Amino acid sequence: MRRKRKDMLANGRRTAPAFLSLLVCAFLLAGCWNAREVNDLAIITATGVDLTEDGQIELSVKIYLTSPSGSGSMSGQPDGNKGTSVVRSVTGINMADAASRLQKKISRKVFWGQADVFLFGERMARAGLEAPMDFLMRHIASRERAHVFVCDGPAKNVLLLSPSIERSVADALVHMAEQQTGLNITMMDLAQMLISKSKAAVLPIVVIREEQGEKQSFPYIQGVSVIKNGKMIGRVNEDVTRGIMWLRNEIKQATVTVSPEQSDGYVSLHLHRSQTRLIPKIEGGRWIMTVRITGQDDIVENTSDLDLSVPDHIGKVEKELEKVVNTRVKMALGQAQKEFKADIFQFADNFYRKYPKIWEANADRWDEIFPEVEVRLETDLRIARPGLIGKNFFRQEQR
Amino acid sequence: MIEKGKISALQMGKMIYLAITPTAILTASGISFNFARQDLWLSPVWAFSGVIAVPVVLGLNRMFPDRSVVQTLRDTVGRLPGWVIGGALWLYYLYISGIVLREYGEFVVGAFLSDTPLIVVLGSLVLVCALAVRGGVEIVGRFADLFLPAFLLLFLLIVLLIIPDLHITYMMPILGDGILPSMKGSLVLQIWFGELSIAWFFLPHVSDRENAKKSLWITFGAIILTLVLSNLVTLLLLGELTGGYSFPFLILARYIDLAEFFAHLEALFMAIWVLGAFVKICVFFYITVIGAAEWMNLADYRPIVFPVALLLTLFGVWVAANYQEMTHTISTSLIPLSFTMFIVLPALIYAIARIRRPGSGNRYSSGRTRK
Repeated sequence: MRRKRKDMLANGRRTAPAFLSLLVCAFLLAGCWNAREVNDLAIITATGVDLTEDGQIELSVKIYLTSPSGSGSMSGQPDGNKGTSVVRSVTGINMADAASRLQKKISRKVFWGQADVFLFGERMARAGLEAPMDFLMRHIASRERAHVFVCDGPAKNVLLLSPSIERSVADALVHMAEQQTGLNITMMDLAQMLISKSKAAVLPIVVIREEQGEKQSFPYIQGVSVIKNGKMIGRVNEDVTRGIMWLRNEIKQATVTVSPEQSDGYVSLHLHRSQTRLIPKIEGGRWIMTVRITGQDDIVENTSDLDLSVPDHIGKVEKELEKVVNTRVKMALGQAQKEFKADIFQFADNFYRKYPKIWEANADRWDEIFPEVEVRLETDLRIARPGLIGKNFFRQEQR
Repeated sequence: MIEKGKISALQMGKMIYLAITPTAILTASGISFNFARQDLWLSPVWAFSGVIAVPVVLGLNRMFPDRSVVQTLRDTVGRLPGWVIGGALWLYYLYISGIVLREYGEFVVGAFLSDTPLIVVLGSLVLVCALAVRGGVEIVGRFADLFLPAFLLLFLLIVLLIIPDLHITYMMPILGDGILPSMKGSLVLQIWFGELSIAWFFLPHVSDRENAKKSLWITFGAIILTLVLSNLVTLLLLGELTGGYSFPFLILARYIDLAEFFAHLEALFMAIWVLGAFVKICVFFYITVIGAAEWMNLADYRPIVFPVALLLTLFGVWVAANYQEMTHTISTSLIPLSFTMFIVLPALIYAIARIRRPGSGNRYSSGRTRK
């Protein structure tokens, strides 16, 4: 018994220093040097990058304030959505320079971990995105999933908005992008496109809808900015955007209204799922890309004189639907191949994946080859369901 | 032998697995990618060093079942040459432990605690490792037992969660430029596969020696599988960007986003990494200490644990001036160096032993039937 106690004592004497040093280690767990309190942070939710007249970078940030001093936080109720966000902007010779100056203008520690939206002003985009992108990818706190946009005009103007539906302009843009009614490009997507074999990229454009009063104006996504070799070279309108999205397999939902031949009125169809496959082929020196679009639609409205419970009529509408989609795709192809000569559909990477050797041999000539690539469209869109009613009850003379 | 502890063959396998995979997942894929491109995932299959290392250390252990590494060296090549080689060996292990430690430090400081001095990050881990190493091989083995399930679980969780974001086309064209790029990409991996020869130090302490062979080969297979998997998901997510990132798998972990709810998993990856690096450094640290103690004919290795810990911390700082220099070293001079120390040296000793004591190589051969 006594011996046992002695052993325990000896054990204690041995383990005590070990235990003590472990305790000392525990102090390090908090990460003293990198300790940050939420209340001391300036949380950046959206970032705008503009190029000033004299070639400097103007960095604007939308800062979400966690507990602004003097606000009625005593009541325990958040302030709603007013006055909790501020915009600060600084200029510098490059991104890092501007970012460091930013800290001088903000009393709290700048925190980038929640920056989910990056906006480039149009002038910045036209001057080239390589420089700001390097900073953004290198920065340890920035996220690959952040959404990237080009603004119609200076990015700062968009940040200054506070749309009434969402808590902040950043939230509004993120949600709009994720609905995929327009392009949805993340930092990672952009980086992949910029370094891809085609050296061309697309970014959605944010446009401001001006309304009476600051509160009423809101941003939305319209059109696409075409980027080649890191520089924005042009923009396309909304219809062409849809064509681009079809080709890039980014259409998630769409409502298409067609007017079938020899019928008066319209049929509207809602697309539920679709897939676009690019099938490259090189045949005797000719570069051919087969675009196979498949999808399933439901009828959402029928004001034509066709009775859409008749299978024959469905075929007619399907054909019409395919025609509409093909027109849009052709418009997009035409602009990309002839006007911009920018391979924004990543055809180059598809050719490379199937014909690595031929591609390597012709890589330098891609700019000449791309406008001449023959595109074959194989569109196959099916109508799956008529919705909850077959015939239009209210039109008597349906065929 | 001054180590009296015993471990099981399974524990040895777990220790070796954790002594190889964590850093391989972290840094190797970026370096490999610059050679292998889209065949990155295939590179770990060309694990030639492992194919040499495993039979060699098993053979050595068959011939000298209860002799430690330093004793084996003396037995085979004589007193003075054995002393010289033994010295080189533990100094090399000190150096490689320094590199491993630095990799850990670079990752923690470079990706998370950017304001924390490197020496604090290194020092705190070495201190904890020193306590484990003082406990001997049994304690290190038990840590491997403890941490392997957590490591595997977190690793598989990350791989599983990233699946929705993968682009299968990024691996095309498979073998577009033939088999050569993927083999070049595997060159740097030979450092890691060569590390299998650390089993040499552990085999004498394995209690169920008859399972050692099976355990080692399974470990070898598991390592290849893990690396193929980690390289594959990294490639399928990052594509051409893989080579540009310092820590591709970190980007993968933080890219995960399930319904905006399950996001920012870099902390999870950090947890994997600290668990893995802890066992990895313990194993190499232990080998350094035991090698040094036997080389100096000490009766016990415990007194030199803390002095070696200090040396190790310093090596962690000394091995490279900065991150770039470290990766440069790993992808250039470390490859032949570790090939020499991990593969050529044991193989040479084995060859010499076989020549001097022919016919004694089958003492522990597991019942393979001859036809």
